[in-house]
Amino acid sequence: MSASAIPTVPTPLTGEQAEAMAQRQIKKHHVAIVLLHWFNAISWVLELATGAGLIVSPLYRFAPTWYLQMMEGVFGSRANMLRFHIAVGLTWTTVFLVYAIFGFRNYIRIEVLQNEIGLDRDDVLWLKVRTLLLLGRTKDPLPPQGVYNAGQKLFALLVYAMVPLIMLTGLTMTFHWFGAASVAWAMVLHFFAVGMVVSGLMIHVYMGAVFPEEKPAFYSMITGVVDELYAYHHHFKWWREVKIKEQAWRDELRSKEETIRLDEKPDDKSTDKPPLISGPQSENRR
Amino acid sequence: MPRYAMVIDQERCVGCQSCTVACKSEWDIPNGFARTKVRQTGTIGTFPKLSTSFYVSQCNHCDRPTCVPACPTGATYQDQSGVVRVNRDLCIGCGSCVAACPYGARYINAEIGKVDKCDFCASRLGKGLQPACVATCPAHAKIFGDLEDSSSDVFRFVYRGAAKRMETANIAIGPNVYYAGKPEHAALALASFAPVPPRTIAPGKVWSSLLNKVVYLAVGVTFLGQAIAFFHQLSTGEKQFEE
Repeated sequence: MSASAIPTVPTPLTGEQAEAMAQRQIKKHHVAIVLLHWFNAISWVLELATGAGLIVSPLYRFAPTWYLQMMEGVFGSRANMLRFHIAVGLTWTTVFLVYAIFGFRNYIRIEVLQNEIGLDRDDVLWLKVRTLLLLGRTKDPLPPQGVYNAGQKLFALLVYAMVPLIMLTGLTMTFHWFGAASVAWAMVLHFFAVGMVVSGLMIHVYMGAVFPEEKPAFYSMITGVVDELYAYHHHFKWWREVKIKEQAWRDELRSKEETIRLDEKPDDKSTDKPPLISGPQSENRR
Repeated sequence: MPRYAMVIDQERCVGCQSCTVACKSEWDIPNGFARTKVRQTGTIGTFPKLSTSFYVSQCNHCDRPTCVPACPTGATYQDQSGVVRVNRDLCIGCGSCVAACPYGARYINAEIGKVDKCDFCASRLGKGLQPACVATCPAHAKIFGDLEDSSSDVFRFVYRGAAKRMETANIAIGPNVYYAGKPEHAALALASFAPVPPRTIAPGKVWSSLLNKVVYLAVGVTFLGQAIAFFHQLSTGEKQFEE
């Protein structure tokens, strides 16, 4: 397949093509992202469980009395629970800080951010069709998506807005920054920001772990890879980008190969031979 | 269980501030703050028989404290002997209780970033000692004891009607610091330092009137959304092969 042969819009696949694509894997997540995701998930479970147990004032509280008592029993005292909540929160904040400082060149570039939170026209349409599809109200195809779909982008936007707020307000409460008024506002904003993320988490967890069509996305958060068929159907624009890069990589390999061969045997014109290295993403395996 | 209370005899108080000093040194209170204060309220009597009246304020360890439900983390609590105490391990220093106290008995200790107030010298009580201010008062104007003990001085003062609570028609939350003295003493104290209605801090108001509704609505809607999608998924079943 040459670069020009890569389709620009999703076209129906033959059974043979689909089967071949289902066998091929493409890398979706760096190992850093996979590790960070699960560290983050565990931190959230612990922080939500202890945070809910810490709020006892009738003005703010939402957990039932039995839950407050149960959590107090688990930790021995509410003071211990607060220490645990702070310890996990500080660790979580530190890890993300380290990630931001050391990973910004690889993971927090502008192009990466555009992929993660930049909504385009297709994305807006996607949101509409996806909702209608879930409710069984349409049979329209979903518009092509980049590496993250519009739902994931919306969730990322929410998280990117709220997580710094959660960290700052948490630090303010932990270290009693800037006096009582600041701590009091921090407390309320902490609840608010967490609440907003939780509302997104409802969808995130359902889509990631339960919704059947997105199962490969869930496994990609463990293995780091998705099969090409899934990428083709769910993240067409990204699939195309990967294919173009793959083609460029292959072309480069071929040209190197030719240079080597030309050096060795000037008469040999075997351009139709397979490349020296058959990469895992190479279509030669077909 | 004891039921601790204090009686402050305004007729005996000479306004020397010994209690304030004893308390500040006992508890290492930063400059500009105090757990107990002596305030001048005015003059009693007619010339030439005049006397200055003082009002000694501190935490009243109320029966129905407004500071306890105001505390988000439960750092402020009422122990079994009726003493309202602060667990510093839980206090985040948000000031909710400071605003909720009608008597202005609380302050934020800027050195530790947490709230502080009188706890009837709980650690001294544990050793069988009187609170520092009571032990220090040269005029025996502060009387401390157990209301469950009918032989105690506080029992006599309180149940024989010689001491009154510092309450108004609107603010009556059962303070356990009682004031003895002439009716003029009480009237003067109430005139200047009457309890004020408990306040909710601004962030608390914003939370209860707006932000909590936003959060509950957002979480409710998304929970419902995924629940509908989930049951739709269960009712249609999963395909063996996709597409």
